[in-house]
Amino acid sequence: MGPARSLRRTNPLTIIVGVVLCIVIFVFILQPSSSDSTASQLRKASAASNPLSPPTSPFRKQNEKANGKRIPPPVVHYHMNNVTSTSDPVGNRETVLILTPLAKFYQEYWDNLLRLSYPHELITLAFIIPKNREGNAATAALQEQITKTQKSGPEKKRFASIIIERQDFEPPLVSQSEAERHKMENQKARRAAMSRARNSLLFTTLGPSTSWVLWLDADIVETPPSLIQDLAAHNKPIIVPNCFQRFIDSKTRRRAERPYDFNSWQDSETAQQLAAGMGKDDILLEGYAQMATYRTLMAYMADEKADPNQEVPLDGVGGTALLVKAEVHRDGAMFPPFPFYNLIETEGFAKMAKRLGWSSTGLPNYKVYHYNE
Amino acid sequence: MLPRHYASNGYPRSKDEYKETYSISPHRFQPRTAPAALRRRRQLLVRLTLIVIILLFGIFIWPGASILPVLSLGLMSSGEDFQLETVRYYDLSNVQGTARGWEREERILLCAPLRDAESHLRMFFGHLRNFTYPHHLIDLAFLVSDSKDQTLPLLSQLLEELQADEDPKQPYGEISIIEKDFGQKVNQDVESRHGFAAQASRRKLMAQARNWLLSAALRPYHSWVYWRDVDVETAPFTILEDLMRHNKDVIVPNVWRPLPDWLGGEQPYDLNSWQESETALALADTLDEDAVIVEGYAEYATWRPHLAYLRDPYGDPDMEMDIDGVGGVSILAKAKVFRSGVHFPAFSFEKHAETEGFGKMAKRMQFSVVGLPHYTIWHLYEPSVDDIRHMEEMEKERIAHEEEEKERVERMKKIKEQFTDPNSQWEKDKTDIQNEAMREKAKEKTKAEAAAKEASGSETKSEAAPKEAKADSKVEAKADSKPAAKAQ
Repeated sequence: MGPARSLRRTNPLTIIVGVVLCIVIFVFILQPSSSDSTASQLRKASAASNPLSPPTSPFRKQNEKANGKRIPPPVVHYHMNNVTSTSDPVGNRETVLILTPLAKFYQEYWDNLLRLSYPHELITLAFIIPKNREGNAATAALQEQITKTQKSGPEKKRFASIIIERQDFEPPLVSQSEAERHKMENQKARRAAMSRARNSLLFTTLGPSTSWVLWLDADIVETPPSLIQDLAAHNKPIIVPNCFQRFIDSKTRRRAERPYDFNSWQDSETAQQLAAGMGKDDILLEGYAQMATYRTLMAYMADEKADPNQEVPLDGVGGTALLVKAEVHRDGAMFPPFPFYNLIETEGFAKMAKRLGWSSTGLPNYKVYHYNE
Repeated sequence: MLPRHYASNGYPRSKDEYKETYSISPHRFQPRTAPAALRRRRQLLVRLTLIVIILLFGIFIWPGASILPVLSLGLMSSGEDFQLETVRYYDLSNVQGTARGWEREERILLCAPLRDAESHLRMFFGHLRNFTYPHHLIDLAFLVSDSKDQTLPLLSQLLEELQADEDPKQPYGEISIIEKDFGQKVNQDVESRHGFAAQASRRKLMAQARNWLLSAALRPYHSWVYWRDVDVETAPFTILEDLMRHNKDVIVPNVWRPLPDWLGGEQPYDLNSWQESETALALADTLDEDAVIVEGYAEYATWRPHLAYLRDPYGDPDMEMDIDGVGGVSILAKAKVFRSGVHFPAFSFEKHAETEGFGKMAKRMQFSVVGLPHYTIWHLYEPSVDDIRHMEEMEKERIAHEEEEKERVERMKKIKEQFTDPNSQWEKDKTDIQNEAMREKAKEKTKAEAAAKEASGSETKSEAAPKEAKADSKVEAKADSKPAAKAQ
């Protein structure tokens, strides 16, 4: 009898309060989706109807009818004449594919990615991870962060699509420690395997709508948030920032930085003579005392006070951070896993791109930072 | 007990009820509950209308907002996003490609570059419908570039029909039509396509188109990539399985083409599948960095063993031959070859471009490259300019021959018109002889008569002469009509 009586006594004031509360709740619910509706609409518009679609776009799961019959995928037209890569990528809504060969997962790397100011709904991330114990650990850590960002994170931070690939071949070296990795005799096999990993990742994820490809190593932990816009603004087919490493100087006990990536260089007479005397299967390496090439290294061109937008032409590029117009890769420029003009991997890539008519540019005063082990 | 129960009821008992003391009819409690239910219903109605008003108000204020997040109570900030899958995971060791791919559900990417190919499309779709490899495991990718004919609309129409086919075994997997113009000035007609001078730049442009197609269409779930030209006329329906069974990284069949009888009936077509020779390697060393060696032209005598020339129509179709350059008419390759970075060089790679360069690069990366000399598919025969010229000559010859024949007949007719038929001559002669004989007889008769009469002879003689003239004219007319009938 009690509840019946309380209902009867409902007073108009309570109803009004309820209505006001309801309106407040509705306002709260509807606010987020109305504020960045352009982004979410773009997400919805780019979504494909089946999982076979290009991996750079999200997809809807159902591809079976209620009776279990397969629905044949639709005929899709891709107008690649309309895919541009210009100096104003945000204004032209150009999609960026960030490619990372991942051996070890660094939280700083992921945090840096999330800080990128380029619209995240235009970014696709793709990773290739070796199939070993270290790789499994890295995959688990990565997946955890992905779930956090894509499922429960703020919508603005979510990426358009994320692809995780596991490598189909064993990495040649068991250890990935820095000392072991940089031994000269190990370099050729290591970098050949690295090239294969890069190519596998590139050619399976590029898809028909990507405008820019950003190669970003998993140990790049600090970049300016506007990295993509800054590099693209130069409107160069291939552009490399200078890769440095922060460390604590053991003598002065102060924070300092040193050049890290020596693969970005301008060719020299000596190096060409060296190459001429080499066999077809030998490779020229940079940064080893046994093989003095006297090339002009971009790593040493950095000048604190100079203009960060200063450009220099390059003949070899490093892959720690590298922005490439997608058409360069589409024309066939890849990372040779074999000595190509006695060059391999990213340096060979610059050479192959040059053979196809695309030149490389370096930004000696625009820095990104490598993890310090 | 009973009275107290009645008392607590609070309603006066009617007399009838009092009589039926133990009645537990449900009607009795109706009057009491009815007003409460009514009240509750009214309240419910009020609340519902309130909610509807609020909803209408909400829609009025935010016309763009979807109702879904409201219904889901905002648990998902955007309903659509919740249904979208944004993360994909692929293990590339599952897509290595094996000899019996159809049993392991291995997916094939079928690539076909197209330019002004309208006339061949229907034939190509005939081949597509006939493939025995499970269609849903094959993804189709077409690159339509610089086409001036109706290639694109026809292609879309045929593909839509294929995907909507009643037969559940017909529709294919993912279908991509990629439109990209490279601004090529090179014509696709046979002469400019196969002329030596145009070869190098043409091959580089073809290579570029192939690379764009592959890089846009290759996915992490593909185990195989099959390149097929649309102008293949005849090929076994089982070609995918046949090539796959060899379990090689790159494999090509032999490509021939049928010819008209006057050209020998058949001919090797694809000369880009070959084995490297010492001569060619030595030649390559002498050439400029950007030079491209193209096979099948007298300009570069390479003395390479060509797959095409090694064909034996009765040979074992499973026989394999290691090759270094491959032709692009029909290539089956494991997807891992392309994933490793092998592509169609649009520059001079070891003095080769496009498919030949592809073979060279695959070899450079230690992949197996194999040709099947006795397993043949047939390319469409398109007469070359020389052939067309030859055919025109043959046509002229035929016409000349016909005219000659006609002339001969004409001449015969004239001859027959000018000279009368000997038959009639004989006939005439016969009648003449007969007439002569008759005259003789008549003479004898008249002589006898004359001998008998002697006195009156001159009258009968004048009678016989007109008779003779009449018979002669008759024969003449007969002979005249005969050749006329023949000429008809």
